[in-house]
Amino acid sequence: MIRVEGLVKRHGALEVLRGIDFEVKRGEVAAIIGPSGGGKSTFLRCINGLEVFQGGRITIAAGPNGQPEQTLTRETTPRRDAALLQQVRRRVGFVFQQFNLFPHLTVLENLTEAPVQVLGHPLEPVRERARGLLERVGLAQKADAFPRHLSGGQQQRVAIARALVMQPEAILFDEPTSALDPVMANEVLAVMTDLAREGQTMVVVTHSMSFARNVSTHVHVFAGGHDVEFGPPAQVFGDPQHTTTRSFLEHAARE
Amino acid sequence: MRSTPFTHRVVTVLWLALGGLCLPGGAQADTLDEARRTGVLVWGGDQEGGGPFIFPREDAPEQVTGFEVDLADRLAAYLKVKAQFQQGQWDKLLDMLRTAKVAVVLNGYEWRAERAEQFEASIPYYVYGLQLLARTDDATLKTLDDLRVKRADGGRRKLGVLTGSAAESWLRETYGEAIDLITYDGNTDSMHDVENGKLDATLQDTPIARFYAPQFPQLRFVDAPVAPGHYVLFVRKGEPALLTAINEFLIVFHRSGEMKRLYSRYGIWDEAQTGLAQIYENARYFGYLRSVTAPVDDRGDSATTTLPDAEEVRREPVRKRGWSIVEQYFPTLVKAAGMTVVLALVSFPLAILLGLLVALGRLYGPTWLRLPLSLYVEVLRGTPLMLQLYFIFFLLPEVGINVPAFATAVIGLAVNYSAYESEIYRAGLQSIPQGQMEAALSLGMSRPLALRRVIVPQAVRVVIPPVVNDFIALFKDTSVCSVVTIIELTKRFTVLSMNTQAIIEMMAMTCVLYLLMSYPLSLLSRAVERRLGVGGQS
Repeated sequence: MIRVEGLVKRHGALEVLRGIDFEVKRGEVAAIIGPSGGGKSTFLRCINGLEVFQGGRITIAAGPNGQPEQTLTRETTPRRDAALLQQVRRRVGFVFQQFNLFPHLTVLENLTEAPVQVLGHPLEPVRERARGLLERVGLAQKADAFPRHLSGGQQQRVAIARALVMQPEAILFDEPTSALDPVMANEVLAVMTDLAREGQTMVVVTHSMSFARNVSTHVHVFAGGHDVEFGPPAQVFGDPQHTTTRSFLEHAARE
Repeated sequence: MRSTPFTHRVVTVLWLALGGLCLPGGAQADTLDEARRTGVLVWGGDQEGGGPFIFPREDAPEQVTGFEVDLADRLAAYLKVKAQFQQGQWDKLLDMLRTAKVAVVLNGYEWRAERAEQFEASIPYYVYGLQLLARTDDATLKTLDDLRVKRADGGRRKLGVLTGSAAESWLRETYGEAIDLITYDGNTDSMHDVENGKLDATLQDTPIARFYAPQFPQLRFVDAPVAPGHYVLFVRKGEPALLTAINEFLIVFHRSGEMKRLYSRYGIWDEAQTGLAQIYENARYFGYLRSVTAPVDDRGDSATTTLPDAEEVRREPVRKRGWSIVEQYFPTLVKAAGMTVVLALVSFPLAILLGLLVALGRLYGPTWLRLPLSLYVEVLRGTPLMLQLYFIFFLLPEVGINVPAFATAVIGLAVNYSAYESEIYRAGLQSIPQGQMEAALSLGMSRPLALRRVIVPQAVRVVIPPVVNDFIALFKDTSVCSVVTIIELTKRFTVLSMNTQAIIEMMAMTCVLYLLMSYPLSLLSRAVERRLGVGGQS
């Protein structure tokens, strides 16, 4: 449902992404791994229109409920194409490494804000749905707490629920567990695994090799701005073809 | 964010106003006809100048009395209209006349060539002189020329005068470097300082000297009054009907003996006033050549109805002090504080709103908008509030924009403070982490929605302390509004302390009132902070 062709992204003279081709189909979970500075996060941010890029195209396929196909290109700018970007973001959710919950709102309000304000849904049903999602991420009792009173792991689970409440067709995860200690990271990964099992389309940039190996349908290895190797996890982990992949996996295994 | 049209307009108006300054004042409708139609003659004066000219009534401190008040009432009666006093700052009264906020200025303005050039002067209504006052226990000053004699300690004589007064210019011309001249803004301030020894003497207009003498028993008159001059009324150029009527009134009023009786009530009739008769009966005074020796008939109407018998309105020789002053004037000060509160409460929310729009425009608006908005902030922040108020009140009328006094005060305060608020907001908005905007956008929010629902609410919490700080500052800055005729707490304090001489009591009451107004704000802000307080991000 998300197709990326020849994506090029530069920061001044520095080429961060050097022509990436990538696709994730409905119901698939794509994991993106690779050394730091390989362009993984930038790639995700481009898909969601948080970064402009200099070449290639990103296509979000027509949706099951009549959503039209949408295409981002190098010409897409935040100001001129605000409406297009808004449409894309309503269909593709985003979970940040730093959670970015709204600190002035309670947990429940964090969830209800966008459906009510953006989609114009009536508050009560949205609250019900939000409570249901909090239940699902194991935080029903925290509905009225403020984000600052939650642990990092709890905040990230709220952030996932906040993305889910918009009922996106796909969710992009940008290193969702990197800011967390292992225990909290596991809580978050459990929620994500659960989502994956239910067929939620996901693109996950992660350092968690176990998630990539056990949960994803495809693994992509990004290095130096290229998607150097991709395939089913068994293939990438079991029989890596590229030298970069091999050295990266060796390093990851040692940690 | 749409404030550029406004900025453009301000700039346009500025140019027009500058151009307008070079043009003669626009043609006015006949003011006398206008007064007769409305039944009201609006005249301007400053009660801060105090007795015997215009000062607060002791029994009703919000109303004014004084020989000029009585004179204006008589004049209005002669014109068969009612007199309406318009308070204005003394040095701005002619500006008020020029911009048609008053029809007549009547407040101890002496005839001067440069004034007569811009305005039409009446024949004089009072002949004043300059009276030297020194301490009774200071025997070294017997005549004016003793001023040249150094003090016992070898220093030059220290003299106090009213800023910009005839006394100041006369002393400078006559004694120059031989004396030390110190200028004051209040009539009686220098009399105080002579009494307490800070000054050796003060030179005052005779009416002031005579009127206040009983309140300063330690002062004595030195020598006879010098450098006589004439107080005149001013009207706008091109008002022959009104000017003639005023001159006629003065002559009739004088001939009937009413003028003498009126001035005597205030203890200011003296020998020098015989000079008035000469001017009136010969009808020659500067530009005024029309012969009115031809009968100005004594119409026997209101102008000549008799005044109560010469019961002197001089102040009690003993200054009132302590609680009686507090009891008498506290309600008046409280009312003036009400104006302060209203001004602050109306203008500050506007300042916040404007400031927020400017800050948002500078941070998130289109590029072309940023420079004008930066200019807006720099210009308003970099120029005094007083001048901005002056600009709105006295210069905008030149291009046909008449803003009433209260609206001027509110707009002036709001716009001035919006510059400060916008900088606070800019800092507040910039302190919100980038991730917040990204999170909001990633949920499908538009940029304006994200600002409104996510960024601004957080920024508001960050800026509460500095904003409350500014609110308190604005509270006190409302006092500048007296320049556009608003009477609020500080102005009322100045007027009353000048006239009662109970400066300590007045000051104490005024300070208490300001504190009573601002301290609850500090408490409120702390409470709000606690309630809304957001800990660090995440």
